[in-house]
Formats: sequence, structure tokens, C-alpha cells
Amino acid sequence: MDVLSSLMDGFATALTPMNLLYALIGVILGTAVGVLPGIGPAMTVALLLPVATVLEPTSAFIMFAGIYYGGMFGGSTTSILLNTPGESSSVITAIEGNLMAKAGKAAQALATAAIGSFVAGAIGTSLLVVFAPIVVQFAVSLGAPSYFAIMVLALLAVTAVLGSSKLRGFASLGLGLAIGLVGLDFVSGQARLTFGLPLLSDGLDVVVIAVAIFAVGEALWVAAHLRRTPLQIIPVGRPWMGKEDWKRSWKPWLRGTAFGFPFGALPAGGAEIPTFLSYVTEKRLSKHPEEFGKGAIEGVAGPEAANNAAAAGTLTPMLALGLPTNATAAVMLAAFTQFGIQPGPLLFQNEGPLVWALIASLFIGNFLLLLVNLPLAPVWAKLLQLPRPYLYAGILFFATLGAYSVNLQAFDLMLLLVLGALGFMMRRYGLPVLPLILGVILGPRLEKQLRQALQLSAGDVSGLWSEPIAVVVYVIVALVLLWPLAARLWRARRPRTGGLVVADGPAVDGPAGPAAAPSVEAPAVEGRPVDGSAAEAPADRGPDAGRHRADAHANHGQEKS
Amino acid sequence: MTSLASRLKGRSELGVAALLGAVGALVLIDAARLVVPYSQSDPVGPKTLPIIVGGLLLVCAVLLAVNVLRGGRGEAEAGEDVDLTHPSDWKTVLPLAGAFIANILLIDWAGWVISGTVLFWGSVWALGSRHYVRDGLISLALALLTFYGFYLGLGIALPAGLLEGIL
Amino acid sequence: MSIIVGYIPTAEGTAALDRAITEAQKSQSRLVIINSSRGDAIVDKRYAQAEDISSLTERLDREGIEHLVLQPVRGNDAANEVLEAAEKYRAELIVIGLRRRTPVGKLIMGSAAQQILLEASCPVLAVKASA
Repeated sequence: MDVLSSLMDGFATALTPMNLLYALIGVILGTAVGVLPGIGPAMTVALLLPVATVLEPTSAFIMFAGIYYGGMFGGSTTSILLNTPGESSSVITAIEGNLMAKAGKAAQALATAAIGSFVAGAIGTSLLVVFAPIVVQFAVSLGAPSYFAIMVLALLAVTAVLGSSKLRGFASLGLGLAIGLVGLDFVSGQARLTFGLPLLSDGLDVVVIAVAIFAVGEALWVAAHLRRTPLQIIPVGRPWMGKEDWKRSWKPWLRGTAFGFPFGALPAGGAEIPTFLSYVTEKRLSKHPEEFGKGAIEGVAGPEAANNAAAAGTLTPMLALGLPTNATAAVMLAAFTQFGIQPGPLLFQNEGPLVWALIASLFIGNFLLLLVNLPLAPVWAKLLQLPRPYLYAGILFFATLGAYSVNLQAFDLMLLLVLGALGFMMRRYGLPVLPLILGVILGPRLEKQLRQALQLSAGDVSGLWSEPIAVVVYVIVALVLLWPLAARLWRARRPRTGGLVVADGPAVDGPAGPAAAPSVEAPAVEGRPVDGSAAEAPADRGPDAGRHRADAHANHGQEKS
Repeated sequence: MTSLASRLKGRSELGVAALLGAVGALVLIDAARLVVPYSQSDPVGPKTLPIIVGGLLLVCAVLLAVNVLRGGRGEAEAGEDVDLTHPSDWKTVLPLAGAFIANILLIDWAGWVISGTVLFWGSVWALGSRHYVRDGLISLALALLTFYGFYLGLGIALPAGLLEGIL
Repeated sequence: MSIIVGYIPTAEGTAALDRAITEAQKSQSRLVIINSSRGDAIVDKRYAQAEDISSLTERLDREGIEHLVLQPVRGNDAANEVLEAAEKYRAELIVIGLRRRTPVGKLIMGSAAQQILLEASCPVLAVKASA
């Protein structure tokens, strides 16, 4: 099979000393930003985009892959030691893992999270190797109408399913599409939304947009709401696990992986639903259900594996179709365009060596992470003592530097400030940022497919559904849009049934998990348990439900940027 | 009028609706100006997507305004290091934006080493650090390090500005 | 009148506290314990945690010392917090712990102890951690 030989070639590329070094840099950076609150893998990749353009694309992506996986590992460390989940997907790890840590089992919690992440990462990446070429094979046979339909699905799914308010999701999407319009129309060559400024005729640089929204907007937002009370950190030694812990962990790891990968691969699956499903499953299957809500190792092992497997799953549509479904994947996709590489089904064909080296580096990075994380957890914990002024000033400093160095013009910095202010405003008023960034990236491609599709049909609108796959996708789009309505009707008719799902969730037994997850409205407010006792369940979705007491919330279904 | 005033109070989110509406209108006005050449090869033309996007934004603006007036509110984004129990702290954000603008104004004239130092020092100050000397040293070191790092490592020559010839 | 002690959960902080307790017993004064944090880092090891504080108050209760534990987090330096408390509670004595600092470290970081010594308007007792 030539997949295997391609993968071997990928390993050969990724294992050169230079690329190994970039993998190591990526892994260390990724873990560091995962540990630090307020800065995440998407922001880091965005900040590195300008610098990375001078590297070989392969090396740059190997580094980005390390950051992507490293962010997950690092995030679980903070979640367990501090109980401050940065992403909605690590809420459960934060709750159950923090309870374990408080019960004096921090070392075991960290170990099961790290080893589980490794196992899930390895299996997930293997599944990526198997499935991505199949998806590509299927996708290359598709024409413009099907592509257009799939892109519409991806945009709508991310906008309508993730995040707590669909209306605000669509507003964000609209803004993103509008930003994507700026520049010369690629067919007629007419300037759109440039206001006569020649600097705008090439469109807005994706790097500047990504840095502005993810780094500047986030830094300003955090600065406006700086937490002033020092958090309590649980001291740790080196993570380790006993025989009993292994026995209780390995099955949850595998089951978590099985939940995580498919959800990650779906256009709007995300990582929080599988982590939640994994938690519920483990609780039901466990021989120690009474420990759940007090720090059960299965409750850390399963969700953490699900989280990482979902991360691997996300890469399937990203590499095979050019469709990103989370913020980091979106920024990595922007990186492809920055290097002049066209994302999409032809990626495997045109850039085979790069893609396979990237995938091989995922295996390597995953392994390096295990090596770096198990012995160094106490060192990572020390990072948390970095004073915030330096952290956030540093983000602004490097954001400015990066955005400026792309074109060396102060005009880009003005854009950075304006778009950063937009990012601030969006965070303030609950407009999710992911639809905006997807709109910017996918908008122009969407338009291209639309025009191609209708060109084929000579302007006949029915050309849009001239392919069977397109029809199927539109049916799914309709389902995605109508599902919440149907669910509401169904629930109205049987009021108790809807509540049952919630009652199954961890909300009842202590940690308030994303109990709202199975309903299509994404998890709303994840309460942080006060000393392990029950926190507010997110069932009530009033505007301020639990907002002020809860320390840990969902990020509108997005990962920490 | 008083009831209107009371309804408007605490509804700063209407500003978001206004912004969406303004952007939507802008997109539509801009689209109206585009010429659509009749072309067999491009039946869609450059106008279609802008009209859809502008329409989407206007619809969102109206729906958001209605939603807000009915008492709906966007959930401010939470995060690991975000404390939403107190309102936005403009005393931090405005000086921070000031440092940022100072950098924009200075960078081409005074050069990155000076503007970057001002940016970092100003940001750290805005964020509450009061170790003036230590912060100054760190700022200068960072700016110098990135200047030479970009020049030697990446081949990107950041502006030297006033310090031209010294650096 | 009261005795102010700057407390941090380290060897020198504990040494200062021990000495302050002895002084408070001697003079029958109220003991004001200041454990502040600038609150600018996510984790501040010098900010005592709840368990630490409760075992501390238990000990003071046991020994029958009138006490007040303050943990201000207002973005101020520890020295300023101690000096402000000394003013407010009309301190007769400030007790602080000293740690070893290299001259360079002192130049860059400044020294809380030095600031307190120079600016306090009452006697200051500086204690070293018993090696």
C-alpha cells in the first residue's frame, strides 16, 4: 500500500535533525502555552505565522503540529493543578482531575492524563492515516457544486451548533465574510470594499487578521478583566501511576479515543461532547461509581483521551478537505495559504511529502510530549508564577512585531488595532470568534466554488444541486438548522425526557459538567464546583445563570485561543 | 421617552447591532457600485456574494437589536485568566491601547528598538507593574534582541529609525 | 498598640512569625499578620493558602493572642502593605523576615526589607531564618 510508504517517507523527512529540533521546539512551546492561562495554541500559531514564513514549509508545519498537540497536554496540567479549564473540552478533566489532586493523587491524575493523551494521540493519528486518504479519494471526485455544499455545511455547522447564541454566531460569520470580501474580485478585477485605498487592494492579510483577533483582541480582553486573586496550586512531584491505576485507566483511554476521534472529524463535532459522553460512560461502567465527583481516575483518563483523539480527528477534514473545525486548525489553514499552498483535496496530491511529514511529526511530537511532560510537570507548574503584566505585554509586543514584519508597514498595525478592538468587542458581547475566522478563510473559496458551479450550469441555479453528494449535504444542512427546532418541539411534548439526559450528567453528582452538551445548544455555563460540592447546572440558560459565581466556563464551544 | 431611555440603559449591546448594520450597509453600498459585465463564463458576477453578506449582516443587526431590547444579552467570553465579576477595567485597557498607538506612530520614524521599548514598557505599566527600572531594562533588551534576531536570524530588517548607524 | 508581622509561607516568614508571637506575648499586644500578594501572577507562592491561615489562627487562638490576619491583594508591594498596616494599626513594632539576596538581585528586584527599614516610623525587628 502506498500510504505506508508515503508515511515512511514522511518519517524520513520528519526525523532529520533539523525537523526534530522544530518538533521539539513546537512541543515545548505548545506545552508552555497550554499551561499558561490566557494564551493557547491558536494564538501561538498565529503569532508565529510571520516568523515561520522564512522557514521551510515542512519545518514550520512540524513545529505547528507540536504546538497543537502540546497545547492539549499543557492544558490538562493546568486543569488538574488549578481547576481552571481553558477550553470547554477540558472542563471535566479540570473538575475530576482537580478533585483527584486535592485528594493527594495529583501525580496519578497527571500521569493518567498524559499517558491517556499519548495513547489517544497515537491511535487518533493512526486513524487519521487510514481515513484521510479515503476521504481524499472520495473528495477528488467531487465537483464544484458538492464542494460549495460542503463548505456551506462547515460554515453553518460551526456557526449554528457551536456557541451559545446562533444569532451572534451568524453576526460573527457575516463580519468574517465581509472582511474576506475586501480586495480585488478575482474574476472581474474590480475593487471591493477597498475605499480607494491601494493598500487594501490585495485584501487583508490573513496573518494580520488572525493575530489581531486571537492575540490582540484576547490580550485586551484579558487585560480588562484581570483576575487579581492568586489561585491555589496543588504541589506536585513527578507524575506516576501504580498498577491499580493502570488497570483502571487503560479501558477508559480506549473508549475515550473511540468517542473523540469521530466527533473531532465531524464539521461541528468539537471536543466537548465526546469528553462529556466519555465521562458519563465511564461513570456507568465503573466499579467505583461512588468515586465519581470525588476524583475518580477513570473520569480523568476517559475525557482526556477523548479530548486528544478529537484533536487528531479535527485534522482529518483539515488536511483532506481544507475545512478547519477549530481555531487552531483554522490558523494552520491560514498558514497553508501564507506559504502559497492551496488547501483542499488536492493537498495530498500536490504537497504529498509535506502532508506526510506533518502526519509523521504528529506521531513523533506525541511521543516527545510524553517524554517532556512526565518528568517535567513540576517545572511547567512553575511557569504559572510569571507575572501577568509580562505575559500580556509580551503577547502584544510579539503580535505587533509579527504583524509588522509581514509587510513592514505601519498601516498593518492600524489594522491590527482596529481588528483587535473588534476582537475585544466580540468577546465582550458574546460573539464567537471562530465563525469570523472561518468566514475570512473560507469566504473567498466559497465564492470561487459558487461561481464555478454556476459557470458549469450556465447560470442556472439548479446547478448547485446537480450532484447527488450536494443534495445529501444540503439535507444535512437542513437537519443541522432545523434540529434545534425539532428538539425543542420534541422536548415540549415530553418535558421529562429532555431533562433525563441532563440528570445523567455529572451535574447532579458534584462537578457540573457540560450537561447541556447533548442538546444541540452547546454547553452554556460550566460551573466550577465549590469545594467539590454541587455547582449550578447549566440547564437554566438565563443570561446570567451562574456567570458570576462560576470560575470556569465554556468558551462558546471554542478552544482557548 | 423615559421608558425608551430606561430601555436603552445598560443596553450597550445595541452598539453591536448598529455596527453590524453599518457594516452591512457599507457592503451593500459598495456592491451597488460594482459593474456586472455580462459574461458567459461568470454568471454569478462580483456582486452576488457581497449582496448576500450585506443582507445577512443587516438581518443579524435587526434581529440582534430586537433580541437585546427584549432583554437578551451576549455572554461575555470567559477564560482561564478572566474574572468577569468586575466590569471592564478601562484604566488598564486605554493606556494599553495608548502604548500600542504610540508604537504605530513611532515605529517608522524612531525605529523598532525605540518604539518596541515604549510599547513593552507602556504595556507592562498599564497592566500594573511598577518596577520602572527593571521593566525598562527588560523592554530595551527585548526590543534589541528581536531587532537583531530578525535581522540576523530571519533576514528581516526592522526599521532602525533614529538609531540608524548606531545599531 | 499592636505588633505588625509580614508573613510569607517560607522559612524566613515562619521565623518572623515565631518571633512576633513571642514579642506579642511579652507585651500583651495585638498581633497583626500581613500576608499580601500583588496578585499579578496566576500563582503566588508567597500568598498563604487557606489551610495555612487556618492552622495559623488556630495556633494563635491556642496561645491566647489577640490577632488579626490580613491578606490584601491590591497590586501593592509587600513593603507598602506592611507600612500601611503599621500606620493604620499604630504599630509599636514591625517584625520582618530576611532572606539572602545577591547584590545584583537586590539591584534589580529591590528589597522589601530595605524599604520597610527606611520608611517605617516605629522600630523594625528583622529576623533571619534559623539555618
